[in-house]
Amino acid sequence: MTVTMPRLSDSMQEGTIVRWLKRSGETVAPGDVLAEIETDKATMEYEAESDGVLEIVAAEGATVAVGELIARLGAGRVRATPVARRLARELGTDLASITPTGRRGQVMKHDVLAAVNGAPTPPPRDAAAATPLTATQRTIAIRMAKSRASVPDFDLEVEIDMTACLALRKQVEAPPSINDFVIKACAVALREHPRVNGAFAADGFAIHDEVNVGIAVATDDALLVPVIRDADKRTIRDIAAASRELAKRARERRIEPRDLEHATFTVSNLGMFGVTRFTAVIDEPQAAILAVGAVQDRVIARDGRPTVAPMLTATLAADHRIVYGADAARFLGHVRDLLQNPVRMLL
Amino acid sequence: MSEVEFRDAIKQALDEELARDDSVIFFGEDVAKPGGVFAVTGGLQETHGESRVFDTPIAELAMAGAAFGAAITGLRPVLEIMFGDFLALAMDSLVNQSAKYWYISNEQASVPLVVRSAVGAGGRFGAIHSQTPIAWFHGVPGLKIVAPSTPGDAKALLKSAIRDDNPVLFFEHKRLYSTKGEEGPETLPLGAANVVREGTDLTLVTAMVGVHDALKAAGTVEQDVEIIDLRTIRPLDLETIKASVAKTNRLLVVEEGPSTGGWSNGVLAQVTEHAIEDLDDAWRLTTGDAPIPYSPSLEDAFLPGAEAIAASITERIR
Repeated sequence: MTVTMPRLSDSMQEGTIVRWLKRSGETVAPGDVLAEIETDKATMEYEAESDGVLEIVAAEGATVAVGELIARLGAGRVRATPVARRLARELGTDLASITPTGRRGQVMKHDVLAAVNGAPTPPPRDAAAATPLTATQRTIAIRMAKSRASVPDFDLEVEIDMTACLALRKQVEAPPSINDFVIKACAVALREHPRVNGAFAADGFAIHDEVNVGIAVATDDALLVPVIRDADKRTIRDIAAASRELAKRARERRIEPRDLEHATFTVSNLGMFGVTRFTAVIDEPQAAILAVGAVQDRVIARDGRPTVAPMLTATLAADHRIVYGADAARFLGHVRDLLQNPVRMLL
Repeated sequence: MSEVEFRDAIKQALDEELARDDSVIFFGEDVAKPGGVFAVTGGLQETHGESRVFDTPIAELAMAGAAFGAAITGLRPVLEIMFGDFLALAMDSLVNQSAKYWYISNEQASVPLVVRSAVGAGGRFGAIHSQTPIAWFHGVPGLKIVAPSTPGDAKALLKSAIRDDNPVLFFEHKRLYSTKGEEGPETLPLGAANVVREGTDLTLVTAMVGVHDALKAAGTVEQDVEIIDLRTIRPLDLETIKASVAKTNRLLVVEEGPSTGGWSNGVLAQVTEHAIEDLDDAWRLTTGDAPIPYSPSLEDAFLPGAEAIAASITERIR
């Protein structure tokens, strides 16, 4: 009975064994969690579908293509030579965890010794030596490069006076973040500008019924984009609660693929790092992404006079195959209008 | 140290033992006046006289019976059976009389008898002049079986065999007679193997021509092969083999003889039984279960020579 790398999400091509939760030689039952598998989107628990004695084939850290062998569930006896069995017993090593090199796949004495003495000597430390990519990092690399190579994107920028939003925040307990206001504003505007919420395809524009806003979340050495579904229909307080929970789960690598799927637009916010403005890379097949900078007091001209106001710079990157300059400008203007007059998205 | 030819080493042993001990006699077909069909024993009759070195009729059972009778009445006979294949004719005297006498006589009399016999294939002698019939006698308690590989060993072991108070079968491989080697010690103990090449990857146990083929093979394979020359097939020096296997964890036994019932089976069985937890692998390389072919090309292909040994090692160890 073979256990192969499962397809845990639609886009999954390969997975990385983060951790085996059962050891080789252990008897497992259907439903027992065998391993944690990192897909291109999340780290998932993988359960046994039948019972048997586990024989691990793919080691922890190994990246394996979907459908390839990762373990066996069988009668349980590991093939090993008598001397290998004795040595493993004397050294307290689990035979099943040892990579066999015998001509019939049996564990030999030198296999046990190699396992006990550790992996082959690592190459000398070298600053230029490659650090292996995680599955998530590989996915990010492929998708970003593909986007830059194939999407004719262009950027538009607006300055938004956040005075009203900040005033509104002060009036409520546990106030939503600036980003929650931005998400809501985008969602409301996206409903009015369906091409920005759509996707370009060779055979035509895809226009989505749902407005699902992805929020870029920096995790340890990676980037995840959990999705707030139907953001246009949700209250800012609801969006705040959802984004907080999703961001927490993403940082703890506990997020599930369904929380990462079906975004129709993305908001990326680097304001918390003090970044004034930046441009973001469109996550295909989405049509646009909004890069949000920090809210900063700036001197602006108001009614012909200089004044100080909390300003936010938002930069929209749009796919010119589906969103043209005027479309993007109208959308961005709408977002600015909503954030400068937040009461319009509360009603 | 001077080199000596295998056949001369045998003759020297006979010559020196005949000279050392008046009770030693030597006889067989064509051994005295013609000097032996393999030119081993020429001149011994001239040196030691017709009463102690003499030719016999072609009657192996009578010869073996005479040897047994001589042995239990105070002499130390050395009998030559020209080809090992002919030992079938002498079977009763050796197996039922000589080998049992010490036990049946309640340990009152032993049988200090040596049977020398030329064995082995590769000489284009056909199916009934080429066998190595060690297996015929291997399971007979009371018989010792010596199978030397070098002139020095042959001389020392033959002297030990003659001085031993029990019946000893002394096998000489035809293809060794013309080989040369250094002189050895005066005697060698029966039942002591010799590690002729040290190695770490495989213990190769063999005897006679097999030792030379194994050495040749060891020089051509990647694996570091330890070669044990058994010198005596019975009693078996199991301790030397076990010590080697404890180091290499692999055992190959090479025997010129049929797979079924061969002495190599016993070696494998003993090591498996007593040292299984030292083994990564253990196997044999023998001839097939068939008569030895007369056709030269078939005979060569039939034998477990150096190339076959190397191929077996390479195939088995990766």
